[in-house]
Amino acid sequence: MKTKILLLLLALSLTASAQRDDFWRDIDLTARTGYNIGGTAPIPMPASIRKLNSYTLQANASLGLTAEKHLSDKWGVQASLYFENKGMREDARVKNYHEAIVRGSERLEGQFTGDVETRVTQWMFTLPIEATFHLNNRLKLYTGPYLSWVVGKDFDGKAHNGYLRVGDPTGGKVELGNDPTTWGSYDFDDNMRNWQWGIDIGADWQTWKRTGLYAALKWGLSGVFQSDFHTIEQTLYPIYATVGLTYKLR
Amino acid sequence: MNRLRLTVCLGCLLLLTSCFKDEPLNSEADIQRVAVDIDQPLSVFFALTDSAQDIASTDSAIVFNVRSKADLTSLAPTFKLTPGASISPASGSVHDFSQGSVSYDVTSQDGQWHRHYTVRFHPTIVTVKDTIRYDFEHFALNANGQKYYQWYELDDDGNRSEDWGTGNSGFNLSMGSALPNEYPTYPLADGHTGAGVALTTRSTGPFGEWVNRRIAAGNLFLGTFDLQQALVNTLHATKFGIPFTIRPVTFSGYYQYTPGKTYQDENGQTVSQREDKGAIYAVLYRNHDDAGNAVVLYGDDVKTSPLIVAIADMGDISTTNGWTAFSANFLYRKEIDNTLLQNRGYSLALVFSSSNEGDHFQGAIGSTLLIDEVQIVGTTQE
Repeated sequence: MKTKILLLLLALSLTASAQRDDFWRDIDLTARTGYNIGGTAPIPMPASIRKLNSYTLQANASLGLTAEKHLSDKWGVQASLYFENKGMREDARVKNYHEAIVRGSERLEGQFTGDVETRVTQWMFTLPIEATFHLNNRLKLYTGPYLSWVVGKDFDGKAHNGYLRVGDPTGGKVELGNDPTTWGSYDFDDNMRNWQWGIDIGADWQTWKRTGLYAALKWGLSGVFQSDFHTIEQTLYPIYATVGLTYKLR
Repeated sequence: MNRLRLTVCLGCLLLLTSCFKDEPLNSEADIQRVAVDIDQPLSVFFALTDSAQDIASTDSAIVFNVRSKADLTSLAPTFKLTPGASISPASGSVHDFSQGSVSYDVTSQDGQWHRHYTVRFHPTIVTVKDTIRYDFEHFALNANGQKYYQWYELDDDGNRSEDWGTGNSGFNLSMGSALPNEYPTYPLADGHTGAGVALTTRSTGPFGEWVNRRIAAGNLFLGTFDLQQALVNTLHATKFGIPFTIRPVTFSGYYQYTPGKTYQDENGQTVSQREDKGAIYAVLYRNHDDAGNAVVLYGDDVKTSPLIVAIADMGDISTTNGWTAFSANFLYRKEIDNTLLQNRGYSLALVFSSSNEGDHFQGAIGSTLLIDEVQIVGTTQE
């Protein structure tokens, strides 16, 4: 919560000072379009997750606008606003993995060995406020905290091609198959958080006139689920890298 | 651009992959299969296939039905366990089974989980009775969880014989919150005489809707319910029949039937003008095929298998006014082989269901079939 307030204050002070004309003189504006790739995963990975069976790229567009204020030749500060999706679709082999399937008031819980597919969609507005460092005319590094407001949320998946031990590893064994009537699917959209935060670290490379390339890593420090949600044992952190193009507006 | 994207993509996968830890040790502690290797298996067992059996995950009392004159003083069962698990006393150790059951404890590979098993050899006396009665006085909550009722018979030694199966353990998957009397099959305190058994078609709630199995008919049958198959092959979860050593002639008992109000198809759509019907039937079949493989009939072939010898079927069960007697004759399609009969080569399935299309998830929620005082009258010897 403290971090949130701090970020808000920073943003406000930037806007407030932006009203002064002389302040605007050395502000750079950069538009960004990029692609997010990464995952929403437990850190560290529990031993019960054995292997990544497949990973499918999602429509993870990232559109952004960055305003940078130079403080010296090398140093500066920048604020950005992104609209982006941190989606993921992966299928992983698990062993004795705690799984709970909830439907209405009914709950089926146990230890699952088999394949678990997870699909995540997280459309969000992200506001990073960062310190910048210019290595030279072309290359800029930056890092700082970000705050995201998640506006479109989906988290669903299925446990399939394996078996569930009901309750604990000594409970009844039920096979789960590979079609909608025999696999166990779950849907936890409603348990996702509206706000996320984390650390962004990235680099911009001015390659040709106004255009350039950028790459950044947004390391989530808050889980994607509400803190009172324990159906998935591990906290899942959104960790996504972004690669894309920059266009210097001014 | 593409190369950068590829590099980042690979980098991420590498990052993810490098996080995988060493495989954890197994937590399961099951006996998956038991075998008894002896020089002359047919001196102990009725059929070669009886000397080994697969053990369901829900079973912990293992029973071998053996010849009454079998020497049980030094047998050495061998066990196939969950990989990495250990058993005490050891697999293959010799024990005297003539004095009753022997206990075994299985510990999982990670040492965290334990299961207790008993192995018993039950000398079966070829019955001289010509009437077998089932009065449903013996029932208990399931040992692992105490969630639902199971019915059993007492054998001649007074031991529990798990002759009856129900779909209750499958229902438990969808409606874990149900009380024992809210399951499809539950005891009827005030039966025709003493306790009876009640079968009611239930809604399987949100879970059932989601896997398109919206109802669970109350069922009770001689045989076993295989929870493992409950979702992937529902019709194979019901394994009908137990070995039977008399030649059945009539199948009779008492029942009451009340259909539920609204008949629904497998998609949950109301079918107007259709009244639910119950099912009461008995099937006698050869429990080995011509190649000598053990055979059990499932939900999909219990009335169609070529191994069926006789069927006694009450047809569609409709509304009754109070307890009603039923009686059906076994209609034989083939002659009985008496030697095979005495060697437990035939199995009998008695099947009761509150919705006769319940195996296809059609019927009326609330349809109730009450059963009591069932008997099989037979001729033991020609």
